[in-house]
Amino acid sequence: MYSEHNPPILELDSLGFRYFKDKPFINELSFFVGNGELIGLLGANGSGKSTILKLASGILRPAEGQIKLWGKPLHLYKNKDRAKLLCYLPQLLDINLPFKVRELVSMGLYPYDIPPEIRVDEALEMVGLLDKSESNITNLSGGERRRAFIAMTLIQGAGLLLLDEPLANLDIKYQLEIQRLLRELREKKNISIIMALHDINFALHFDKVMLLKEGRILGIGKPEAVLTNDLLKEALDVNLEIKREDSGGTFINYGNNF
Amino acid sequence: MSKIKISLLIVISISIFLISLYLGPNVINPFHINDIEKEILLSIRLPRVIVAALMGMALGASGAVLQAILRNPLADPYILGISSGAAVSAAFGILSGSYFFGKFGVPLTAFAGASIASVVVGAFGWKQGRMLPERLLLAGVGLSFLFYAVLMLLISMSSSEGIRRAVLWIFGDLSIADWSLIPYGVVFIIAGLCISLFRAKALNALMLGDDLAHSLGFSVQKERLLLFISVSLMTSASVSLGGTIGFIGLLIPHIVRFVTGADSRILIPVSAVCGGAFLCISDLIGRSIVSPMEIPSGIITAIIGSPYFLYLLRKKDVLGT
Repeated sequence: MYSEHNPPILELDSLGFRYFKDKPFINELSFFVGNGELIGLLGANGSGKSTILKLASGILRPAEGQIKLWGKPLHLYKNKDRAKLLCYLPQLLDINLPFKVRELVSMGLYPYDIPPEIRVDEALEMVGLLDKSESNITNLSGGERRRAFIAMTLIQGAGLLLLDEPLANLDIKYQLEIQRLLRELREKKNISIIMALHDINFALHFDKVMLLKEGRILGIGKPEAVLTNDLLKEALDVNLEIKREDSGGTFINYGNNF
Repeated sequence: MSKIKISLLIVISISIFLISLYLGPNVINPFHINDIEKEILLSIRLPRVIVAALMGMALGASGAVLQAILRNPLADPYILGISSGAAVSAAFGILSGSYFFGKFGVPLTAFAGASIASVVVGAFGWKQGRMLPERLLLAGVGLSFLFYAVLMLLISMSSSEGIRRAVLWIFGDLSIADWSLIPYGVVFIIAGLCISLFRAKALNALMLGDDLAHSLGFSVQKERLLLFISVSLMTSASVSLGGTIGFIGLLIPHIVRFVTGADSRILIPVSAVCGGAFLCISDLIGRSIVSPMEIPSGIITAIIGSPYFLYLLRKKDVLGT
């Protein structure tokens, strides 16, 4: 799948990480991210989704193993150089920020000493916030705020986005909207995206899914191969059934869990 | 529109600086100055106004930086215990009457106290290679209480005439200002201002949260430490020049934010200029209204500032929420 002409953008090789000295949280974790891939991280609370994203973005340093970004060890990058290639958005975004939308989005240019020819208006238009560019962040809806931060990452120009639960706490309308926007970005700009999420229905439409339990990978690959009834039971500790219809649609049957 | 407003603020601030030179208990006509007035202007008024402007600049800028690095709208340069550390050591010097450095005694002891307090607060705020805003804030509040307790103990146990002088100093005493203090005040305050201005982008990013600041290419701990050092330099120098003057660091950045927005690259310099002007005018009022007595500037800043701040709080959304 990956070759000399199509190398992985990000490689996580035998990573180990612990929050407490005597208790490993992540052990021997390895995976690759290819150009333009959309990868979903699924797992119960505390399974390691956020930790993996923070390791991959360099916020946390692994105790063992190595992370490579475009073939070069992540920790050898200068902060500003790394920021031009990789961008991380946390799950909790401060809602009390005193900035205007345009000010926030322009911060995406901070890694550049000489800003590239990317116009803030273009990014705002792409996320559908051009008419709210002078609004305060505090006055935006949850979905709009999320889109404003995504516009900031667009300006940053990174080819790899690491998103921690970008759909959390949003109405279904905004979840679909953000999801549509991310797919559009991937197609137009060939951006690779790794995102943690909870909704299995969304994950069913990703290129690749990683199912996690207690800091280890239960399965990684195409959604139909990984999101099986057995693996989901093991990962989430609940009986779920993936229904596949003849028309090609898929949905989750919660069965007797209600 | 905001560019016009910012320009207007700066013009008003410079005008206040000039006006406070010529107004006071004795009004000096700038177009007809005799020798005595020239002497008053150059030896008394000018150094005093420069000291007021420097102190106000330091406090206004420090407030803007601290509210951002601590991510707390109620933060001001004194919340970290730097001023109370200065107050204890300066009061000890004043009350014990033991000065080895002549007129530099009070500023030097105050600066030493402020610097020691900064290092102690910084050490408490530091854990596992990280400077944590919440720890910094709590350590500052805790240390302030301790320092004030020691200060009250010193004052209550003292029977010397120094008590009045110590109390005046604590509320901000600009009457001690003269040329000899200005050069070192300028060095520390300009150094602090330059650090905070050069790191203003990082400060904006830190307001988004540590993880986003990292993602935008900043070394979070290094930036926070640098900005903390800039605040410590400015606050220590300000306190040692003329005592602890409250409210400027809290109030001015909030008022300026209405006009400039929250971008630190503009907020910090405009807060500095407006802070300087505000202290100049407070000092002018303090030395004029009950002349020949003087009201400490710290009292005037609070008397003018508090009602205006409460008015703004009621009228507009000061805290950005």
